[in-house]
Amino acid sequence: MDSKIIKKEKLLSLLERFIADYHVLAPVREDGVLFYRPVDIPGDIELNPGRSVLPPKGRLFPQTEALYGYRVEGEKLTLNEYVEEERQVVLFGVHPCDLRSFAVLDAVFLEEPRDAYFAARRNNTVLVGVSCSSVLPECFCTTYGISPVEGNGADIHLTDVGAGAYLVEILTPRGKDLLQKFESFFEDNVAGAAEAKRAKEASLVKKISLQVKVDGLHEKMASIFENPYWEKLSRRCLGCGVCTYVCPTCHCFDIMDDGTKEEGERFRCWDSCLFREYTLHTSGHNPRHALAQRLRNRFFHKLSYNNQRYNTEGCVGCGRCVALCPVNIDIREVIGTVRGLV
Amino acid sequence: MGVSNPLLPRVATVVDIIRETGDVNTFRVVFDDLEEMAAWNHRPGQVAMLSVFGVGEATFCLSSSPTCRDWLEFSVRRAGKVTTALHELEPGAKVGVRGPYGNSFPYEAMRGKHLLVIGGGIGLAPLRPLVNFMLAPENRKDYGKIEIIYGGRSYNDLCYKEELFRTWPEAPDVTVWTTIDVAEEAWQGHVGFVPAYVEEVKPTPEDKFVVICGPPIMIKFTVKALENLGFAADHIYTTLEMRMKCGIGKCGRCNVGARFVCRDGPVFSLTELNQLPQEY
Ligand SMILES: Cc1cc2nc3c(=O)[nH]c(=O)nc-3n(C[C@H](O)[C@H](O)[C@H](O)COP(=O)(O)OP(=O)(O)OC[C@H]3O[C@@H](n4cnc5c(N)ncnc54)[C@H](O)[C@@H]3O)c2cc1C
Ligand code: SF4
Ligand code: SF4
Ligand code: FES
Repeated sequence: MDSKIIKKEKLLSLLERFIADYHVLAPVREDGVLFYRPVDIPGDIELNPGRSVLPPKGRLFPQTEALYGYRVEGEKLTLNEYVEEERQVVLFGVHPCDLRSFAVLDAVFLEEPRDAYFAARRNNTVLVGVSCSSVLPECFCTTYGISPVEGNGADIHLTDVGAGAYLVEILTPRGKDLLQKFESFFEDNVAGAAEAKRAKEASLVKKISLQVKVDGLHEKMASIFENPYWEKLSRRCLGCGVCTYVCPTCHCFDIMDDGTKEEGERFRCWDSCLFREYTLHTSGHNPRHALAQRLRNRFFHKLSYNNQRYNTEGCVGCGRCVALCPVNIDIREVIGTVRGLV
Repeated sequence: MGVSNPLLPRVATVVDIIRETGDVNTFRVVFDDLEEMAAWNHRPGQVAMLSVFGVGEATFCLSSSPTCRDWLEFSVRRAGKVTTALHELEPGAKVGVRGPYGNSFPYEAMRGKHLLVIGGGIGLAPLRPLVNFMLAPENRKDYGKIEIIYGGRSYNDLCYKEELFRTWPEAPDVTVWTTIDVAEEAWQGHVGFVPAYVEEVKPTPEDKFVVICGPPIMIKFTVKALENLGFAADHIYTTLEMRMKCGIGKCGRCNVGARFVCRDGPVFSLTELNQLPQEY
């Protein structure tokens, strides 16, 4: 694997070039809250972002997305697919847990038959990863074998190695092309950068407050499907769906029409298995009528179904659902309890 | 994107609407692009998404046989938004169709065997393509006897009356038993619920597959009756209904345990169902 060094001021001018040549999405703060947004000014970008409220998955799978338009003229009905973006997108500043989440989403959306919208966006996105600089109390990426300083899944990956320098790892052919195109911004790697990265890793991993283990868990979970634990847990759940909206691996969506019978568009938007309407039939029958069933479905999806279906973990340990659940339902605690029950 | 966007429907025209019952119409649909029509292939038991633009999409089984190459048929019960909009259409109306989705009845494994078909109400819709596929001249020799036990609330609630009372009974090696829930003056046939009728007819399990579709309660009691008659769980098939949006394993909505009904179903054997969580 190739690696380089980039100095902080060079990184800012590189971002300026990116903004000129590409459409850049990067972490910015709005009223103190971190979001991935289109940016025009490099200075707006958080270089050591930390955890965003909504994950960067919105770039590949937007919260609402028009699928196609329809129009009726006399006898004729035409469907208009939306055209692809002209400019490539650089998604800058993605942390290791979120990088892994893209692989989880790939397994769903790129499985045949491929989701054409996701595939087009995926194909048109250059991913620039950034190592974490701090660990938040809810982070537990290491549970899933993710290191806060590794850029697996990114095209190029940056690690702040101190003294105003970033280690740049070139991880894919696309990353290599990018590097070649902007060669003058980079310097040769220096002795000590790799060691600095390792030291950073060690100090970050030590700060992960709650270490939970999931190995072998998914096969055993079927045995506790009927356990009263789920009902007990659900008594404090509000069914608000926040945990699913902020999750980088949740992929459920609804499809709806907006328009008249003559003209309009069909779009999709994020949906949540925590909502009663999600499985409600027209007849009134609801296969998961109780909140306990829906909450159980969410945890089974993350901790078992995803493994069974795609052979990948369905959670990446980003901690968003832990941080944002209004009643402190904590997936790490659930894992701990479940381990005791199976 | 154009080449393969599985979420994009193909434009089709409703060429005929057949009134089956008070709330079920069969829509005969032809793709506007004749190449699409020629390229379409479905297997008995598969479903498709039907769109009324401006209202939405909903899932329906293909009720026409795969051997019919001229059109597709969907039998739709008026229930909510999309189904009501469909019922308001007139011949000539434009709709969207995408699919086919899902697995199918195991018509390959059924070769050389007899078939018992048990349906209730609109539950005959997914079974009809299987029967008509087997009765097609090119396939008939591959399959044994076909027995059909079918019931509805009243005579008016029975679907596909032409086939039920004429085409199928007149076909060689096909027996049809029909029943209605409550007696009616003009009705000469059997009166009673389907599961009880199955117990009366006493079909034998030898070399036979069973396919059942209908209201969940009917399925439940029919399965009990069949088990008492000695039918094995891996020879009994039914279809599951979950809400569906994408039909292609992306939107997550149709999961029962780790299975997606749109990809791994809608057809399941009783053996498979017994391994799934009871969340359907
Ligand atoms: C595998 C499968 C096969 C089916 N085959 C048939 C058939 O052959 N004939 C028939 O009449 N009906 C069939 N249905 C049921 C049919 O899809 C629903 O009646 C229909 O979706 C109701 O839509 P609506 O807009 O009229 O009702 P509304 O209640 O207004 O629907 C609102 C939304 O709920 C969804 N929805 C509601 N109930 C269901 C349901 N049971 N399944 C899936 N989505 C639902 C719809 O997609 C719609 O977007 C089938 C369902 C499935 C899953
Ligand atoms: S389940 Fe929670 S911790 Fe796991 S990936 Fe989703 S939001 Fe992050
Ligand atoms: S965020 Fe918490 S309260 Fe809201 S649905 Fe999820 S678990 Fe329940
Ligand atoms: S209908 Fe979308 S996953 Fe099955």
